[in-house]
Amino acid sequence: MNVLTVTLNPALDREIVVENFRINEFHRVKNPSYSAMDPGGKGINVSVILSGLGIRNVAVGFLGGNIGKVVEERMRMISDLITTGFVHVEEETRENIAIVDPLGDTITEINSSGPLIKPDDLRMFLRRFEVTLSRVRHVVISGSIPRGVDNDIYKTLCKKVTDTGKLAFVEGIGPAFEMAVEAGVVTVARPDLRSRKLIFGESLVDLNDYVNAAKTIIEKGSKLAILSYATEGDVIATQDGVWLFKTRGHIDRSHLLGTGDAFMAGVVHSMIENERDCFLAAKRGMSAAVAEAEYIRKELISLKDIDEHIDSFDIRELE
Amino acid sequence: MKVSEAMIRDVSTIFEDETIEDFIVFCLRQNKSGLPVVDEEFRVVGFLSESDIIKSALPSYFSLLQSASFIPDTHQFVIRLGKIKDDQVSQHMVKPPVLIKPDDTVIYAADLLIKNGLKIMPVVDDEGKLMGIVNRIYLIHAATQGKIDR
Repeated sequence: MNVLTVTLNPALDREIVVENFRINEFHRVKNPSYSAMDPGGKGINVSVILSGLGIRNVAVGFLGGNIGKVVEERMRMISDLITTGFVHVEEETRENIAIVDPLGDTITEINSSGPLIKPDDLRMFLRRFEVTLSRVRHVVISGSIPRGVDNDIYKTLCKKVTDTGKLAFVEGIGPAFEMAVEAGVVTVARPDLRSRKLIFGESLVDLNDYVNAAKTIIEKGSKLAILSYATEGDVIATQDGVWLFKTRGHIDRSHLLGTGDAFMAGVVHSMIENERDCFLAAKRGMSAAVAEAEYIRKELISLKDIDEHIDSFDIRELE
Repeated sequence: MKVSEAMIRDVSTIFEDETIEDFIVFCLRQNKSGLPVVDEEFRVVGFLSESDIIKSALPSYFSLLQSASFIPDTHQFVIRLGKIKDDQVSQHMVKPPVLIKPDDTVIYAADLLIKNGLKIMPVVDDEGKLMGIVNRIYLIHAATQGKIDR
């Protein structure tokens, strides 16, 4: 097993494609393939994409109820390269609903909050996390924090990872993400800026704000910072500099689903091969995201897709 | 057909020092009848099933009886269940466990399951670390699909 992914608050992703979607109106889904149900949550998404890149991985976290069983079963159906090891809790796993309108170029997302995690569940998870950690080299921790879990959880998990000389890849937002970054225990940090463009108490408005935030993350001890900037760009920082990666064409908002997770999977895959070259990892991550953006739904991209898109975006050195 | 093609890649497990009550909650929530027991290195050191719990709560002479209707007092069985719920898993697990490897054939796995009267069997790597499980319904399904001799 190469990679351990942690999804503390997984979901069953319900993706519905509705042309000309409008609030307060009746809509009918025209095509059965336009109503899909997939295992979701950011860590799980990375697991699925990594399996498409040929990387054997184990997915852990919390699942609950019948929805949890569907998430687990569907993950294993996707690929033999995915092993599951979730702690099952009393309450039901959440559902994330995304209404994609390709004509109106919109995505409307409704995410529920998920189950309450009790202290016993957390204790059992932490023990299983530590034991599973001994079997992998890279750990991806990604997504929201469920109710009942303290904000220091990312810091706690990442410390266990980096204390054993392994690499911690983290995507998240808010106090949990910031505490882990500030503790200097995150190797690759990618703030999830979809819901709010705010990090370390600073609003991100213009490019300069993004550059400063990326530099702050590196100063705290991360090797690579990735900040999504506008729809088609990413600000990248390593200990060697700051760059703006920007796609050449326009990407419809309806094609953005899963691109952030593809970015992270591309970075992880690259760093499995070449642990030290963070800039190359960012390039391959961006390439994976651009490849994923060609699909309206979450699709399994291949290594060939990443190779083919490696020159499909511009790189500008900022500092 | 190899076990690797028919196994369920799930490493849900219980530790030796966790309790029977933990085991029961795990099985209820996951709709399982048994779990591999592992040590801190993820090596499978035992297996615990609902049948093992029932056996532990029954009087020792039960195996000599022809039918459960001969048990003089079922209430005693319930009381014994209450007494063992805080016991450690290691006190009631079957050890050494019956194990199989991913490169073994499904026919061999079916043979082990039938001969040992098991529903589930852990799949381990060369170091004895848990990789997943095989269960009866998956093997029956593989057989009905004509995949077993492949």
